[in-house]
Amino acid sequence: MTNDTTKSTIFSKYDPLAQRASMVNKIGVDPFNMTFDDILGPTRGRIGNREIILAGTNNYLGLTYDEGAREAAKSAIDRHGTGTTGSRIANGSYAEHAQLERDLADHLGKPSCIVFTTGYVTNLAAMAGLAGPNDVIFIDADAHACIIDGTRLAGTTTVRFRHNNPADLDKRLSRQTYKDGGHALVVIEGLYSMFGDIAPISEFVDVCQRHGAYLYVDEAHSYGVFGEGGRGIAEEQGVLDQIDFYSGTFSKSLASVGGFCASKHPEFELLRKAMRPYMFTASAAPANICAAQAALDAIKSRPELRHNIMARAAQLHDGLNRMGFDLCAPASPVIAVRRENEGQAAMEWNWLLREGVYVNLAVPPGTPQSSSLLRISVSAAHTEADVNAILAKFKALQDNGAEILADGMRRLQAAE
Amino acid sequence: MPTDQQIFDKICELLRPYNVKNKPILKTSGIMSDLEVDSTAVFDLIMELEDHYDISVPMEVISDVKTVGELVHAIQELLAQ
Repeated sequence: MTNDTTKSTIFSKYDPLAQRASMVNKIGVDPFNMTFDDILGPTRGRIGNREIILAGTNNYLGLTYDEGAREAAKSAIDRHGTGTTGSRIANGSYAEHAQLERDLADHLGKPSCIVFTTGYVTNLAAMAGLAGPNDVIFIDADAHACIIDGTRLAGTTTVRFRHNNPADLDKRLSRQTYKDGGHALVVIEGLYSMFGDIAPISEFVDVCQRHGAYLYVDEAHSYGVFGEGGRGIAEEQGVLDQIDFYSGTFSKSLASVGGFCASKHPEFELLRKAMRPYMFTASAAPANICAAQAALDAIKSRPELRHNIMARAAQLHDGLNRMGFDLCAPASPVIAVRRENEGQAAMEWNWLLREGVYVNLAVPPGTPQSSSLLRISVSAAHTEADVNAILAKFKALQDNGAEILADGMRRLQAAE
Repeated sequence: MPTDQQIFDKICELLRPYNVKNKPILKTSGIMSDLEVDSTAVFDLIMELEDHYDISVPMEVISDVKTVGELVHAIQELLAQ
């Protein structure tokens, strides 16, 4: 600890971050701390007097405004109040928590399913609960932050393998030695959230089985969206029954807040008494659980939602592709447009927002290959006309590229 | 078993594309702080080292490594295991 407290504060370590944030803020709106004055529906927001097309919400099935989900949430509040005020081990579960677990387990054909308070907490809890000190976790190089944080909470040896590369995992599993009774837990995602690329899960199943490794698949961005029955990429690739652990979130296709992990191993139930992020946080509120339950019913009964989102994703991907944009993956509900650098991406992001289109700005270190991206997520609630409007703005962005950058530079200089 | 110098030379070679400002690489150079290699790129660099030496460098080892010299030492220790 330094004695010179006048120079250093507990925040000093964030000086580089402050510098970087300040540059982005000078260009316009802070992309990571912005507020909508109003949200009008699954695909519309309002800032001032401007209506904004929302194209970066991960509201894949557009069910946040679904009549059934809203009624279920309102009725849950009327019957069971606004919060559970404690964890499931201390305050007990509500019948709705247990019902949702049974229904998700049935949908996935697994004997066990545990519901958590958020998607982030799901991976933290399940990974740290499953992997003990003698086990080794293998994660994909492009793993989401909650998977990386899951390895940190597990506190055991963690090995990273090349993205979507079963042969590279094979090599690393062959190389690994284990302490007494140690096992391998391999963690991958179905659809990767930044580039929108899809894992070859069936090949990973094969590699894991050859090495006796357990496979954990996070289908946060693909559950409800892919597969004939909405059971994700694992269903689409015909290997759902072989997945050891299957995690997902309520905050995307399930139109709520929360998460779940299902397992083909009935012993997974025991972890309710071992997973700290399950045991020591308040359980999901009744309204959140009941909204997710209603969205699950929609996933099971309304396949047209999946047809809509895939049609819109194909339309948007095709349009951007024709314009010559550098897209990070084939068509999926996540479409990432690669830009030259962070500055350009930030200036264009601001321009798009001013023009009435909200997408996500994604920059290093949160992106693979240190890429700077304009990331779009498509919703089943987007219409053909919405996607045409988004495409028209990207065309204008392309046509006015030099002007947008010059304007961004002027704003930057004026603020300095 | 490669020497410290050979490992250092290999790291310098692999660091080259990430060292965009072409700063001099010393054993005391902070990989992220001095050479300005971002955390994602550090992991990519480590993967190339893993392939070259046919070892796995666990993530918890990487998070303790701040300088090029510490990386040399970490690789040397893993090779000795």
